[in-house]
Amino acid sequence: MTVTLPATDYSKIISCHNVNKWYGDFHVLKGIDLEVSSGEVIVILGPSGSGKSTFIRCINRLEEHQEGDIIVDGITLSHDVRNIAEIRREVGMVFQQFNLFPHLTVMENVTLAPIHVRKWSREHAEEVAMKWLTRVGIPEQAQKYPGQLSGGQQQRVAIARTLAMEPKILLFDEPTSALDPEMIKEVLDVMRDLAHEGYTILAVTHEMGFARTVADRVIFMDGGVIVEENEPLPFFNDPQHERTKLFLSQILNH
Amino acid sequence: MQSTTSRFGGSAFRNLNLRRYWLDNVRRSWLQTIWLLILLLVTIWFAIGQLQEHFASTIIIFVVWAASVIWTAVSDVRRSHRPMTLWLKTNLYGSLSNVVLSLLLALILAFIIIGFFDWAVVRASFSTNPTVSKIQLERKSVDGKEGAAWGAVIDNFRNLMVFRWPTDQDWRLFAILLWNVILLIPSLYVFRKEVFRRSRIRRVLTTLWILTPFVVFFLLRGFKSDGLFGFLAGPIPYLNPDIAWGGLLLTLIIAVFAIVASFPLGLLLALGRRSKITGIPAWLTYGALGLIALYFFVTRSIPALAEAQTTGAQLIALWPLLLLLIAYLFQRYYQGNVVALASTVYIEVIRGVPLITVLFMSIILFPILLPPGTEILSTWRVMVAAALFAAAYLAENVRGGLQSLNKGQYEAADAVGLNTYKKYRLIVLPQALRAVIPAIVGQFISLFKDTTLVAIVGLIELLGVANLISAQPDWLGVRRAPYVFIAVIYFVGSALMAWYSRRLERRMGVGER
Amino acid sequence: MAESKLTPNPSGGQESVPPWRDIRIIGIFAQIAFVVLVIMGAMWLLGNVTDNLGRLGGFRCPDGTSSFSCGYNFLKVDSQFDISESVIDYDPSDTYGRALLVGLMNTIKVGVLGIIFATILGVLAGIARLSDNWLVSKATGWYIDLMRNTPLLLQLFFIYFGVILLFPPIRDAIQLGDLPVYLSQRGINMPGPVFLPSFATWLAFVVAGIILAFVIWILLGRREERVGKASNRAFWVVFGFFTVSIIGWFVASNSNKLDQSFMIAKSERILAFTDLADNMERRLGAANLNEIDLMVEEGELTSEEVDEAAYTLCVISESASEVNFTAELRRLNIPYTVNRSTRPDQATAKYAAGECEIYVADTVILTGERPLLEDPFAQAIVPTLERPVRISIPEIEGLNFVGGIKISPNFAALLIGLVLFTGAYIAEIVRAGIQSVSKGQSEAARALGLSESQRLRLVVLPQAMRVIIPPLTSQYLNLVKNSSLAIAVGYPDLFAVAFTTLNQSGQAIQVFLMVMAAYLTLSLSISALLNWYNKRIALVER
Repeated sequence: MTVTLPATDYSKIISCHNVNKWYGDFHVLKGIDLEVSSGEVIVILGPSGSGKSTFIRCINRLEEHQEGDIIVDGITLSHDVRNIAEIRREVGMVFQQFNLFPHLTVMENVTLAPIHVRKWSREHAEEVAMKWLTRVGIPEQAQKYPGQLSGGQQQRVAIARTLAMEPKILLFDEPTSALDPEMIKEVLDVMRDLAHEGYTILAVTHEMGFARTVADRVIFMDGGVIVEENEPLPFFNDPQHERTKLFLSQILNH
Repeated sequence: MQSTTSRFGGSAFRNLNLRRYWLDNVRRSWLQTIWLLILLLVTIWFAIGQLQEHFASTIIIFVVWAASVIWTAVSDVRRSHRPMTLWLKTNLYGSLSNVVLSLLLALILAFIIIGFFDWAVVRASFSTNPTVSKIQLERKSVDGKEGAAWGAVIDNFRNLMVFRWPTDQDWRLFAILLWNVILLIPSLYVFRKEVFRRSRIRRVLTTLWILTPFVVFFLLRGFKSDGLFGFLAGPIPYLNPDIAWGGLLLTLIIAVFAIVASFPLGLLLALGRRSKITGIPAWLTYGALGLIALYFFVTRSIPALAEAQTTGAQLIALWPLLLLLIAYLFQRYYQGNVVALASTVYIEVIRGVPLITVLFMSIILFPILLPPGTEILSTWRVMVAAALFAAAYLAENVRGGLQSLNKGQYEAADAVGLNTYKKYRLIVLPQALRAVIPAIVGQFISLFKDTTLVAIVGLIELLGVANLISAQPDWLGVRRAPYVFIAVIYFVGSALMAWYSRRLERRMGVGER
Repeated sequence: MAESKLTPNPSGGQESVPPWRDIRIIGIFAQIAFVVLVIMGAMWLLGNVTDNLGRLGGFRCPDGTSSFSCGYNFLKVDSQFDISESVIDYDPSDTYGRALLVGLMNTIKVGVLGIIFATILGVLAGIARLSDNWLVSKATGWYIDLMRNTPLLLQLFFIYFGVILLFPPIRDAIQLGDLPVYLSQRGINMPGPVFLPSFATWLAFVVAGIILAFVIWILLGRREERVGKASNRAFWVVFGFFTVSIIGWFVASNSNKLDQSFMIAKSERILAFTDLADNMERRLGAANLNEIDLMVEEGELTSEEVDEAAYTLCVISESASEVNFTAELRRLNIPYTVNRSTRPDQATAKYAAGECEIYVADTVILTGERPLLEDPFAQAIVPTLERPVRISIPEIEGLNFVGGIKISPNFAALLIGLVLFTGAYIAEIVRAGIQSVSKGQSEAARALGLSESQRLRLVVLPQAMRVIIPPLTSQYLNLVKNSSLAIAVGYPDLFAVAFTTLNQSGQAIQVFLMVMAAYLTLSLSISALLNWYNKRIALVER
């Protein structure tokens, strides 16, 4: 099977062409095409089971796609172990369940990857880590264990852990879904700052406010395909597609 | 149920409703009635027997029981419980059957305790002189029942501990003991305090602990020259393990060695069993096994089929076809993952057979499996066998820990860019192993107890020494006292470890969440 | 998995991945390297085995060559060693194969009995551990701790060498109360059932009774639903079952007259069994045989006189006829003495020599032996009633026990040790299982108005079972594996027999392979059985 490829546009930091994925017989992603420019902030919306999480997990190879191409920062995702490692260095990911390492302190969580992947000295890594912890507003918690922090604090540590690797691209997989309402804001504030700083961001989230104010582009996925994509204002005010309208009405009017 | 000790005025018997008590405690169901009846009969029968045997103690128990029952009943009726009577009521005399049951159990326990005490102290002899001991035991015996010959244990104390270890080499054992104690005392403090997490002292201690097995080995085995490269001069012949190691010393050596040595293998087996490495492609499996099957079919089955007289023999001759079935099952259930298959087979085979077969195999089969002329001491063979055996069980424990770990931990490790080796070393194993420490301690306890089996294959560990005592001309046939003595050693050892494991579990449970 | 969709390389023609960096190829290479390593290891071991066997002389074919295919020929060779106890017939002239089979049967015997008794003990102890009686709960806790914290082998040695072998010799055997149960160095002797030929008939009735009980249960259940009124179901089920069984007992007793007595008429007329009693009354001058003891006590008779008058029986050892006949004599209080022979011809000779008055055997033997006597037709063959099951009671005769069930000291030590040890572990499992059912479940059950027994039966136990079964399975497996410690107390289980076989035949590898295969099969069967049960009761969860 050969796929004819359009010439790669190197100004695009992420380009996906005809990405397909199956879980057994279940077709999760059906020919996704997406181009992301450097510095762009994209919010992906969609009902549960629409494949949006699976899609962004394919971008740093937590899931393996079976057809099509994903090129991140000029590196093709393939079975090549070196490429996978390189892409993971460039792409940071924040999870719904934080996934902090409970046996390590906050500081160790943040410095782990810089020391072991970027090969920094411990002193340098801790310096950088402290900078990021200060940025997300919890420098005083550095010697605590994740289990001793609140959900919002844990998620901010997770963000600091991701940023400490100095990635170009940030993936957010429903970062606020597991949080109590009063903690959502503190995480969203951090995300908003990052967006303004020029990180390329792909976020799967249900926070419409975030999508409306911060996103450069909103993508609506359903049934494994991109149903609609547009800038936030027209997307929310004038959705084109029936499924989008239905989804927005369910989300917004309750 | 009243839980206060406040007194209510009025008639003391206002609360006494005998009819209600009768209905509740005797007539609620026919099953209860029969149970109570049987209980009563057994108690009376046992009490009469005990009255004849130990009159005084039985009477005392009976009086104490009757008094406390009456006291509790009166307090209950008057609703004026003291803490004592309340405790008695809830724990011993809650219902009529419990009242009877408590008496019966008190009598039985008294019977056991008095019997044991009589044997262990009253009728026992502590003389290490066999002749004196024999006379004392005979004189003190009641109805031909003799007490414990503790003299045999005392006389053989050194044998039980170290058996034939040369006395002039005792300094080695003390050195090992000292080394461990010196390491243990600061470790208990340093490894518990968060302050020392990245300190040099902790690193030094860890290194020393890792060195410990080697130090212990060098001291135990003994080399002619005690320098750093002293082992080049060769081992000291009279510290040959088959001769010099024995008793409790050997028990501990085998148990500790097995658990330490089984660790790397067990870890690999657990990881192997769970590995998701890309398997051998189906075409290769079917191709290779198909060719082998074909080869055997042509060279073995066809001639065998020609000779076979019965249908059974014909079917047996078709055995190469089984290879195809194996190939199919292998692809179907393991997707071509040989590593997972091999780990699983090893673990399940070892866990499916008794330890004694593995030990005997080490004694009998090792010489056959190794190149002719290789000679390995029985002690080494048994130690290796125990480690190989323990590895399979350890692997299953570790696998449990790996399974208990959240999938998100693997994903987060991947997402921050750790490679597979670092993912397991830094993230997965520390958490998985910590989760299974209690299980591993439990396994160590059973290994500690299982070392008794090496007595069957001819090594003289604790139980072996106990058996030898009864064969000494001085203490011919003395068995119970040594057995009880080593039972106490095992009991204390296992109970201590179990207690420590429970404490560890509780502490880690608090620390983590 | 949709295979075809897994393989395409997403990078297309743009950039081909060098094979040493392709994660799949690395994986496959690792697998193949592993296989090669394993095969090389196996070849090395095999090479060593061939070299060593050249010296040791295993795998010898009849034609003198050495070949792996001849490895199992030794199974057909006579074992020439004896096995102290066996479920099936065995003697040293049997083959190694049969000897190993005997060992396997012995392992299964101790395994099955061990599992049954350990389960009973464990469940009781587990419940006792949760008892609201402090003493009961504590005492059970001590028992559990003692068993779990000391080695099983030590316990076995203690029971065998420290207790059973220190029992008195047979002539001073300890009797348990007044029961016919005797403890001695030679093990335990106790009454046991003897199944007579008519047992088969009775068994058929019992089975019919069970079926009938089921039918009654179902029919009455339907009727209850139809009528809407509870009937006395349990009573009718029990009644139906017992009626059929009791009828069956009498039918079986009267239909099979295979077991018969044979006696010399002498001067006395014997036509039916009851004549024996009449004769005895006449001999002793007693009005009623039940009064013999009384008469002896009052001095009207001496015990020597009774002994003299007692019938002497010629019997064949370990025959069901003896048990059947003597049980009937005891029932009628007829005094007798027994003269045992191992073979019918010996018994016939004794009978002909007048050593006994009555020749007890089954009809086939009696009709075969009668013509060999001097005056065949002076001897009458008299039928006795045959019960389907008789209880055989052990009696001391000389230096041995006769009748009843004999439990060897080795088997007793092993079984008791295994049961006590495993029982403690099962108790902990049962306790944990019951405690795992949340309090809320019990409260909900009480709130619904279920009785205590219904609460346990319908709510607590089914839920506890799910927690109990998996660890229980591994305890059963442990029990079977631990039964291999039999070798320490001299019980001929599979491993002990295999060890003797190995020592005698020198076929170490084959014997070990067979033993391991046997234990694996046993283990897999037990876990398959319990997994099946576990799946059946498993909770359906999302």
